[in-house]
Amino acid sequence: MAASLKALTVAAIALASAAPAWCQTTASAKVKTASKTWAVPRTPDGQPDLQGTWSNTTLTPLERPAELAGKAYLTEQEAAEWEKRTFANLTGDRRDGGADADVARSYNEFWRDRGTKVIGSRRTSLIVDPPDGRVPALTPEAQKRVAQAAAAARAHSTDGPEYQNLWVRCLTRGLPMLPGPYNNDFQIVQTPGAVVILHEMIHDVRVIPLDGRPHLPSDVRQWLGDGRGHWEGDTLVVDTTNFSEKDNFRGSGANLHLIERFTRVGPDEISYRFTVDDSTTFTRPWEAEVPMTRADGQIFEYACHEGNYALADILRGARAQEAAQNGSKQGSK
Amino acid sequence: MRTKLALVVAGAGLLLAAAPVWAHHAFAAEFDAKKPVKLQGKVTKMEWINPHAWIHLDVKNPDGTVTNWMVEGGTPNTLLRRGFTKDSLQAGTEIVVDGYQAKDGSNRANGRDVTFPDGRKLFIGNQNANEGAPEASK
Repeated sequence: MAASLKALTVAAIALASAAPAWCQTTASAKVKTASKTWAVPRTPDGQPDLQGTWSNTTLTPLERPAELAGKAYLTEQEAAEWEKRTFANLTGDRRDGGADADVARSYNEFWRDRGTKVIGSRRTSLIVDPPDGRVPALTPEAQKRVAQAAAAARAHSTDGPEYQNLWVRCLTRGLPMLPGPYNNDFQIVQTPGAVVILHEMIHDVRVIPLDGRPHLPSDVRQWLGDGRGHWEGDTLVVDTTNFSEKDNFRGSGANLHLIERFTRVGPDEISYRFTVDDSTTFTRPWEAEVPMTRADGQIFEYACHEGNYALADILRGARAQEAAQNGSKQGSK
Repeated sequence: MRTKLALVVAGAGLLLAAAPVWAHHAFAAEFDAKKPVKLQGKVTKMEWINPHAWIHLDVKNPDGTVTNWMVEGGTPNTLLRRGFTKDSLQAGTEIVVDGYQAKDGSNRANGRDVTFPDGRKLFIGNQNANEGAPEASK
């Protein structure tokens, strides 16, 4: 069974890569040959071709873990050990740690697709700048804002649906595109005038014009901001502003200025780099690189809202607990 | 208790886009760590829906009556990507669910650990209920 699946997979890969010239070599020769003769494929109108389905699944965290402070890269052997240890730590099949930890792990690992490998460079964080691999400190203003938001959440998180976060409400996965424990698949489609990026998780779609038009007026705010693309050599640069004040990326929202760079670096890989520029939130701009590798197959429909029974369950649960607390208070009077 | 949970939710919101959250929403907000349940019964249906799949099963009570429970899992997309289909968990299949009951007291639980009666986990490898489905690897 496993063997036939492997054969299928190999066949699928061979089929998927049958057209371009770079894969007409044997597998063993491919890597060398690719680096020598591979050229960025182009769309009929001459743009670098980024199209296809891509996954950014990886075990490498956004920030360098404290245990690896000062160590920017792992050796091959260190990476293998770290992958094993990290997966064992994260797996949903763990049952230790008491009831609270058990509930927080939610369900078995078979529902997840967090990957088992670190990124190819074996860098210990997706963040490449600052060099310590950590998100820069928040400005005093942002610290205050984040603390206020946390206090509001403490007081109101189950008052109504609008107090739940954007994921729970099925509104958006948000930007930038970072991997999570599952549904890390993205599809890129290009037309002469635009690049379209579909996010499987929470069915987001970005239509990014390439015609040089200016950003929307600043009073128009969108969950995924307002992206404008242009080519710098073979790199697609997407400049996004006009995020909603309800967006929350590490404490940044309305003032987030996101610059993303997509570069096809091989037959099966896109380098996705992004710079987070928000001086009202971070004490300095910062940058991360996330490899996107070719995924077999398609993007699946997510249809999040229709099946989101959990949101009502959470609110009903809060009402039931309040009623129980009120009942026991009255009973003790 | 409520404050503590709200803190967890707020923390999750702040880290959301970056950290590997456990699930689409915090299960601690929906299920009660003080109400562990162990359910054994026959699957009546599985809803292959996002953001989380739900398995329905009939559980026989000690007094002989039957209660239909709903059990929350993860995204079905991961299973579909591995080659499982709507036929992979058929009505009538006997399963065991180890989980925690919903805070509203309804007959809902999370499928913290879902297995066949002999202890094998669902959706792993090739089993009777998943005839022809590939091994869970990618």
